[in-house]
Amino acid sequence: MSEAAILMKDLCKDFKVLNRHEGLKGSIRDLFSRDYKTISAVKDVSLTINKGEIIGYLGPNGAGKSTTIKMMTGVLEPTSGEIIVNGNIPYKDRTRNSERIGVVFGQRSQLWWSLPLIESFNLLRDIYMVKQKDYEDMLELYRSLVDLEPIIKKPVRQMSLGQRTLSDILAAFLHNPDIVFLDEPTIGLDVSMKAKIRDLIAGLNKTKNTTVILTTHDMGDVDALCRRIIIIDKGQKIYDNDIDHLKSYFGSYRTLKLRLADDTWEEHLIDESKEDIMQIILEKQKLSGVKDIQLQEISTEEVIKKIYEGGVA
Amino acid sequence: MSPKKLIALTKAGIEESLQFRLGAFVTLFANIIYLVLVYFLWKAIYASSGTDVVNGMTFEDTMIYLILATALFNFLEMYVVWDMSRNIQSGKIILDLLKPMEYKAYTFWSYSGNHVVLFFLTFIPTFIIVMFVTHGAIPMGINLVYFIVSVILALVVNFHIEMLVATLCLYTESTWGINIVKETIVLLLSGASIPLAFFPEAARKVVGMMPFRAVYDVPLNVLLGKGGADTLSGAASLWGFQAVWAVILIAASTLFWNVSVRKITVNGG
Amino acid sequence: MSKLEKNKNSRGLGFYLSIYRKILIQDLKTKMSYRADFVISTFGMILTNLSGFVTFLILFRNFPTINGWDYYHMLFLYGFSLIALTPVQCFFDNNWNLRFMVRSGDFIKYCFRPINVFFYFMSEVFDVKGLGQLAFGLGTLIYAWYHIGVAVTVGSIALLVLYIFTASLFMIAIMNFAAATAFWMEGSGNVMVIMFRFKDFAKYPASIFNSVFRFLFTFIIPIAFIAYYPSLAILAPDEEPLMTGIAPLFGLLVFYLSYHFWMRGVKRYDFTGS
Repeated sequence: MSEAAILMKDLCKDFKVLNRHEGLKGSIRDLFSRDYKTISAVKDVSLTINKGEIIGYLGPNGAGKSTTIKMMTGVLEPTSGEIIVNGNIPYKDRTRNSERIGVVFGQRSQLWWSLPLIESFNLLRDIYMVKQKDYEDMLELYRSLVDLEPIIKKPVRQMSLGQRTLSDILAAFLHNPDIVFLDEPTIGLDVSMKAKIRDLIAGLNKTKNTTVILTTHDMGDVDALCRRIIIIDKGQKIYDNDIDHLKSYFGSYRTLKLRLADDTWEEHLIDESKEDIMQIILEKQKLSGVKDIQLQEISTEEVIKKIYEGGVA
Repeated sequence: MSPKKLIALTKAGIEESLQFRLGAFVTLFANIIYLVLVYFLWKAIYASSGTDVVNGMTFEDTMIYLILATALFNFLEMYVVWDMSRNIQSGKIILDLLKPMEYKAYTFWSYSGNHVVLFFLTFIPTFIIVMFVTHGAIPMGINLVYFIVSVILALVVNFHIEMLVATLCLYTESTWGINIVKETIVLLLSGASIPLAFFPEAARKVVGMMPFRAVYDVPLNVLLGKGGADTLSGAASLWGFQAVWAVILIAASTLFWNVSVRKITVNGG
Repeated sequence: MSKLEKNKNSRGLGFYLSIYRKILIQDLKTKMSYRADFVISTFGMILTNLSGFVTFLILFRNFPTINGWDYYHMLFLYGFSLIALTPVQCFFDNNWNLRFMVRSGDFIKYCFRPINVFFYFMSEVFDVKGLGQLAFGLGTLIYAWYHIGVAVTVGSIALLVLYIFTASLFMIAIMNFAAATAFWMEGSGNVMVIMFRFKDFAKYPASIFNSVFRFLFTFIIPIAFIAYYPSLAILAPDEEPLMTGIAPLFGLLVFYLSYHFWMRGVKRYDFTGS
């Protein structure tokens, strides 16, 4: 079990883009322009992901998350650096790589739009050449985790967003892949559907020991599923460790809430490594009187927000 | 809707069209090849016929007519039906309906930028080439002004035919089907694929009354000074024909659109 | 602890045919449930063919021959071209959606399956309407064949089948090239529309062009192979040009090149759309 699911070393990806010019004149100039600039989407990223882990892969929009995922799935070839997925180099043999991975891209369904779900499943069984026995076992497992009845005979085009996401996740796990990539799986879903999806992912990860790479902006997903998170920003890895460690890593933050004499609440974000909480309470007490005190752990959401904003690090 | 807003919309359309950098070159290049094809075909046809004039059309007349018809076709081409069906399927239509500008006007003016670009990129170059190659077979006078008027009317007629058909997308998902029906009818009956002069007498009379003629055949006759268009009164009567159809089609498409939109809003489509 | 123990080389032609058949059956099942769409599309297809035929009749009403080709020989070419254009319509119609998928980024979904991307993409759409065109083309061809009086033998039928297959490869290749430009540039829709319009000239004898354009339509945009060169194998077997002889091999080559161009586009495309 020591073999890594994914190994990346000094991975880089550059893109060439045309410098577009503004306005009507600019558009005409662009017709003849050869003016390209290079953008590095991913810079020297190294990481190791072990089998069976659920990784929260985070970063602000445009940080290079999806570029990395595309390299891991073999769709894009890295500009430089090493990448090994399940012991293969993904872009060298995309087909072989894709036999052992599953991918879900948030709101775009990969299922046959007009076919009933079960027919899509049957086709996927044939495409991935899954043995009938394994296929039936997997459907059995699905039935034990979610209620398949309302969706199994429904064409994907007639499904609600939640049902479609659920179906896509089931389809991604159908051939029992070693790694599943989930890009924003809960985007746009209601609270109960989100919970259902999270339970499903956790359940499948547990029973099948599938590695899950989860990119999301929803910290609820991260809190519910991931023990380890990786954060990248501007193409570079800026954090890679336990989620518990995250809060202390960027300072031991807590939120102190005080109800003052005039019944108003005041909030202070306190870094305990630098400030003493008792000190602050005492000062406030002297200044304006404190009627009530609440001390809250900082949420993952707030930590991540601080990181994206460049407040910490 | 202020004129400033309309110009802004047109300008945005021009910029968008130019963004298709390579696409613009390819279109131009391919159009030239296409026209050469037309030339060879008709040259062979006339060479085989043994006479110079067929149904009152010389080889040169036919060529000028077909080449300019093709140029006009490229310049007038719209994808309103496709746009509409995509908007409906993606649900974007609801947003479009909420825009302050009336949906139809919005579509028309965003296309106008495209039309301006294509007019300069395809029609004008083609026209100049034809002019030089035929050594003045195209009369160069007041008819050019008449032509511009006629083209604008053709644009209005064409847009409302498109709109009328596009509205059907609210009822069926068979976009390809209704679009091909429209395209086929317009191309055949407007004279864009074969000059109306070659049609049998009876067919010509019937086709002559239809609105499709107003899109390609009428502007070309006005430009070439045919069908009595060499005088102001003659040109005016052709404009009248276009204008009557424009009015009928505006009324019909507006009515159809309003009725249909009410239907989808009621059904919560 | 390998989860999948199977022969990775086992995805051969048989595998792909069986997958295609399964997708096709499912697809036809759902199409039947959208009857209105089917009826309108079929009507549209018939109308297009009728309109093409009417244009043809009008032309011949005014001009009895074109470049030495009389009415029935021209009709033969016309029918032949319709049949040869059926496969591209039926099996490769999804090329028309390529540019939208590339631009929106939706195309990426075809890259996650352990099957050929080109196959997976094309398998998604089977266009039933093409069958109407096939029927129309067959009718025309048989009618013309009967009037021209070419002998009906096993040999001539075999030749016809071979050359129709050959001819269809060329059109498929042209559309593959045209569609794949979407990977490199915007506005590739224009390229497709133009190529699709070029095919209207496939039904005329290539001998009407001068040498420059005959070269162009033989080697650069090979529309002369959609009807003209292949039909000569039937119509003038004794004096068929070299191009007719090499057409089958050349067709395979052009198709192969178009497939590679298409796949290169996939490799090159950076999927930045989102």
